[in-house]
Amino acid sequence: MEAQEYMIMYLTQARLEYQVHEEIILGPWLSLITVEDLFMMHLFSLGWDKTIVSYGEVAFGVFWVKWNLTVSKVVLLKTMGTENPGRPTSSPFAAAPPTMTPFSASGPMVGSEASGFRPPAQPPQNTMPSISSGPVVGPRVSGFRPYNPPARFSDPSVTSPPTAYIPPTGGTSFQRYPAPQFPSAHQAPPTGAPPIGQPPFQAPAGQASPPASFRTQPPVPLVPMGSPPSSVNAPQFSSDSLPFAPRMNFQPPFPPMDSSYSTARAPLQPPLPGYVKQANAVSQAPPVTPFQAQQGGSAPPIGGIQGLAEDFSSLSLGSVPGSIDSGLNPKALPRPLEGDMEPNSLGDAYSMNCNPRYLRLTTSAMPGSQSLLSRWHFPLGAVVCPLAEAPDGEEVPVINFVSTGIIRCRRCRTYVNPYVTFTDSGRKWRCNICALLNDVPGDYFAQLDATGRRIDLDQRPELTKGSVEFVAPTEYMVRPPMPPLYFFLIDVSVSAVRSGMWSYTIASGLVHALLDMNDKVLGKVVAQTIKSCLDELPGFPRTQVGFITFDSTIHFYNMKSSLTQPQMMVVSDLDDIFVPLPDDLLVNLSESRSVVEAFLDSLPSMFQDNVNVESALGPAVKAAFMVMSQLGGKLLIFQNTMPSLGIGRLKLRGDDLRVYGTDKEHALRIPEDPFYKNMAAECTKYQIGVNVYAFSEKYTDIASLGALAKYSGGQIYYYPSFQSATHGEKLRHELARDLTRETAWEAVMRIRCGKGIRFTSYHGNFMLRSTDLLALPAVDCDKAYGAQLSLEETLLTSQTVYFQVALLFTEVLLTVKRYTASCGERRIRVHTAAVPVVADLGEMYRQADTGAIVSLFARLAIEKSLSHKLEDARSSVQLRIVKALREYRNLYAVQHRLGGRMIYPEPLKFLPLYGLALCKSAALRGGYADVQLDDRCAAGFTMMALPVNKMLKLLYPSLIRVDEYLLKPSAQADEFKNIMKRLPLTAESLDARGLYVYDDGFRFVVWFGRMLSPDVAMNLLGQDAAVELSKVTLGKHDTEMSRKLMGLLKKLRESDRSYYQLCNLVRQGEQPREGYFLLTNLVEDQIAGTSGYSEWMVQLHRQVQQSA
Amino acid sequence: MWSLIIWILCLLINLGLLAIVFYALLCLTDLEVDQLDPFVATANINRWILPEFVLQAVLSILLLLTGHWILFLLAVPLTCYHAMLFIRRQHLIDVTEVFRNLNTDKKHRMIKLGVYMIFFTICIFRIGAGILALFNSEELDIHSSFLEF
Repeated sequence: MEAQEYMIMYLTQARLEYQVHEEIILGPWLSLITVEDLFMMHLFSLGWDKTIVSYGEVAFGVFWVKWNLTVSKVVLLKTMGTENPGRPTSSPFAAAPPTMTPFSASGPMVGSEASGFRPPAQPPQNTMPSISSGPVVGPRVSGFRPYNPPARFSDPSVTSPPTAYIPPTGGTSFQRYPAPQFPSAHQAPPTGAPPIGQPPFQAPAGQASPPASFRTQPPVPLVPMGSPPSSVNAPQFSSDSLPFAPRMNFQPPFPPMDSSYSTARAPLQPPLPGYVKQANAVSQAPPVTPFQAQQGGSAPPIGGIQGLAEDFSSLSLGSVPGSIDSGLNPKALPRPLEGDMEPNSLGDAYSMNCNPRYLRLTTSAMPGSQSLLSRWHFPLGAVVCPLAEAPDGEEVPVINFVSTGIIRCRRCRTYVNPYVTFTDSGRKWRCNICALLNDVPGDYFAQLDATGRRIDLDQRPELTKGSVEFVAPTEYMVRPPMPPLYFFLIDVSVSAVRSGMWSYTIASGLVHALLDMNDKVLGKVVAQTIKSCLDELPGFPRTQVGFITFDSTIHFYNMKSSLTQPQMMVVSDLDDIFVPLPDDLLVNLSESRSVVEAFLDSLPSMFQDNVNVESALGPAVKAAFMVMSQLGGKLLIFQNTMPSLGIGRLKLRGDDLRVYGTDKEHALRIPEDPFYKNMAAECTKYQIGVNVYAFSEKYTDIASLGALAKYSGGQIYYYPSFQSATHGEKLRHELARDLTRETAWEAVMRIRCGKGIRFTSYHGNFMLRSTDLLALPAVDCDKAYGAQLSLEETLLTSQTVYFQVALLFTEVLLTVKRYTASCGERRIRVHTAAVPVVADLGEMYRQADTGAIVSLFARLAIEKSLSHKLEDARSSVQLRIVKALREYRNLYAVQHRLGGRMIYPEPLKFLPLYGLALCKSAALRGGYADVQLDDRCAAGFTMMALPVNKMLKLLYPSLIRVDEYLLKPSAQADEFKNIMKRLPLTAESLDARGLYVYDDGFRFVVWFGRMLSPDVAMNLLGQDAAVELSKVTLGKHDTEMSRKLMGLLKKLRESDRSYYQLCNLVRQGEQPREGYFLLTNLVEDQIAGTSGYSEWMVQLHRQVQQSA
Repeated sequence: MWSLIIWILCLLINLGLLAIVFYALLCLTDLEVDQLDPFVATANINRWILPEFVLQAVLSILLLLTGHWILFLLAVPLTCYHAMLFIRRQHLIDVTEVFRNLNTDKKHRMIKLGVYMIFFTICIFRIGAGILALFNSEELDIHSSFLEF
């Protein structure tokens, strides 16, 4: 009776809290609470922390209970009549892992011993007897050796099918799991222990000291009772609707029903859902506890249950303070050697989502409340690559709503998508984002079948596919679709020599000769490439081109088709630019073809003898802008030297060692002159996208030049110390790609999302036209954009959140692949995705997407480096990783007694490594001397635009050993796959007898081991083998080996065409080239004062623990 | 008499400042709710930034010259802030980053609005006091000298 009173008190208290959270419907739920339930609540006897959510006819609530400062979730689940545990967001189940963990016991612990981190140090056998003695052991053992979490089973040694794990009698799990790993220790216990696998369910008993009946059970390594204090949580499994539910939990007396119960349960066990995928190289592998096995088995694999079976991965770091390094096995650290893994964890429920190549969310589980979001320390957001290249057969379908107009929601302007629902026998549709009921236009009407689906569903790709492209009617145009327009702005000054620096003016006489030659050849490469691309330029019949060259004056070229030779007009008044003959500077390519070719042929020789050292970039850009502003288009700037004349001239502000580490450091990385930003903004306004090609070997202030590209949706190509002999090929390919890849012109992009959340910030190369509208004058498949979300309301009421990316653009590429007319048209590309809202932090972490997180991290860190010190940017990355890991650890640590283990959710296992790689990337690495300022800025600009998979490849490049492949006599197709085995990026992977290829998506480095057989080198390089490799380029030689290597490189290049990977040859020990090209990029090594991978992990781990 | 004129001058300057800041706030709010193109909004705001700085500097100099030390001390931090922004060339709103800094900009202007309001009330008060003093100079002498800071 007393207990009941207590309970009522609690309930009143709870009710008061519910009133605070408006979302709660209490009525029906309250009436269902029975005395047993109340008593159980009493058992927790702790403050109600969180809310109840009610779902219509079945009401169940999620409570959060604080216990010993550990937040674990307590579940009350109550249904009327039939059981219905299969709610999609069934947090009750998801909540289970933390609560059950106390019972997880020492079985797993033994497993961890067995997993072999340091077998000799602590003979696990010693612990066995004590474990058998019951719960008392828990704490003691954990003090000296951490428990393994009862998590996903990722031990590689146990890979037999799940059925093998299910002894008919509910056999003990220690027999199943640890045994293979640690046979000697386990032989004895099993014999002594009758198969009583499910003791953990006796949780309620565990609150007090466990009943004697349990103690007598000798399931030695299991110790079901686990740690007494946390076992309190167990009674939450009170719901009688849980299929597996141990009903006796409800009963106050808590009779020990272990054996009968377990045998009853046993036959129910189907394959364990949580088991399948963890064959980790890391022996983190916490074996599944019996409880989990049980649960996974008996419950249908609904969302929450999966949460139960999979918990987290962990990594054994030294548990004893002081001996930290010894605990870490570098080989066991997780490495993304498989490359980027696109998330597909949501599975069938959201099969109509767009492909992750277009839209990746940092977590596929939206937090349901502000408080939850505040405990998610990663950025919450998305990385969008709206035009990502789709493999053949997966192209986005194009839909033409000629008769009806594009179907959109009246209120929120959402486009029709697979998640809208049709009601009122097909006459209305409900918008999935704002829930408004819209009319279906007459022409779009279709009957609904018995299940409420439209009968014409299979003919409506927009209702079945997450990505579609609508042909936009005239309402979506402010003007007729523009012709594709390319404007080339070429710097023809003798580069790099700047007036005002006396030393240079003296030396210039000498330098001229050299640079001039370089310049000449550069001009040739550009001209040739442009020429060869002329035929392939998109939208061929309408394409317009124009050229301006400039040094201290600006040269316009009249290329009217009636002329035979281009006319050059020189404007030297830089302060007041005017455009002579404004009509003839832009010409239709097909009409003026011969004139343009004549111009390009003569361009290299025209400025051969130019000794003009000035470069009036600013005025030239202005002139180009004036020419282009009527039509918009793409402006390609080839800049050879620092702009020195007219508006936008730049100082040699230089890279000063003394500035680093001070508050002025960041100023080096932002545009010096506001001209560039303003010009870029103007360009964007008139639909001009700027791409900057920079070549200088001296400081060119990429930070300023890059702003032109950044705010006009373009990109930077940087070729430091351009030599046409070596870099020519790269420039040719990248320029060709720039001109011919699929491009969306005069585009705007908007991301819509459901009520209660909002995109608050965007990161990438674009300009915002309004709070959520990205203006992208020219966007292509190699550009991605990051965006961060925030919750506008404290609680999300919906169960699902929808995102819709809409890109409105002009399509001009209607030549080969596409089918329609040749005049271009407006299109809208729409990507839709849905994700569930969760109330469980663990679920958020489990659904996280490392790729998207790293991509956003990189963008944020680079942005931070523009306003703070590099050091700050790096430490902010580290700090956020630490915070997140700590938060995650707090979810599990106490129950599991993790001690010295580092734990992280499975999907985030590579995150620490990527974080390290990010801190070591060219954009953020080191300080003054580590990376040239221009290199750093160029890398920063490039990374801001990279899609996720390319970003990950850049951060953790692939390293492949190829000598064996080359030496093998035959080369089959499947062999190619075999040799593509990526190696860890550490110097230890490099064998002096080997030949390695390093590929980061931007360049190859071919590394020749010192003891590589001379044959190989001879075969590959011919006579050049003896020469210093910096002067050698890898060419085709008439040997089998050379052909094979070139074939291999070609294949690697084909797998990623966005940049051309130039081949750098490096011989072992050849400094400083080896260091520059390869060694500094081996991110796992300690280089120049940065920590290596294992130190980094230890460091993270320490910080995680410090205030955990 | 002179002090009344000076205070009226201050009031006018203050009115100008208030108008400028209020206008900027208006533009920013319009921008936020997508009523205004960012190019137009920033152009509108930037046009009035230097006049605002000048007016504010004039105001503080006026206070200094007329010997209103305490009010001058109240005004001078803002002047210094303006000078700092100007020297760092951060005074103008950057159209490429306007949305990112929207909230900060708004906050700064709200604070400025508050400061100007304070000055405005002081001015009104002083003018009122001045006018009263003008009309019945003898009775209010005590009061006005009390208010003379």
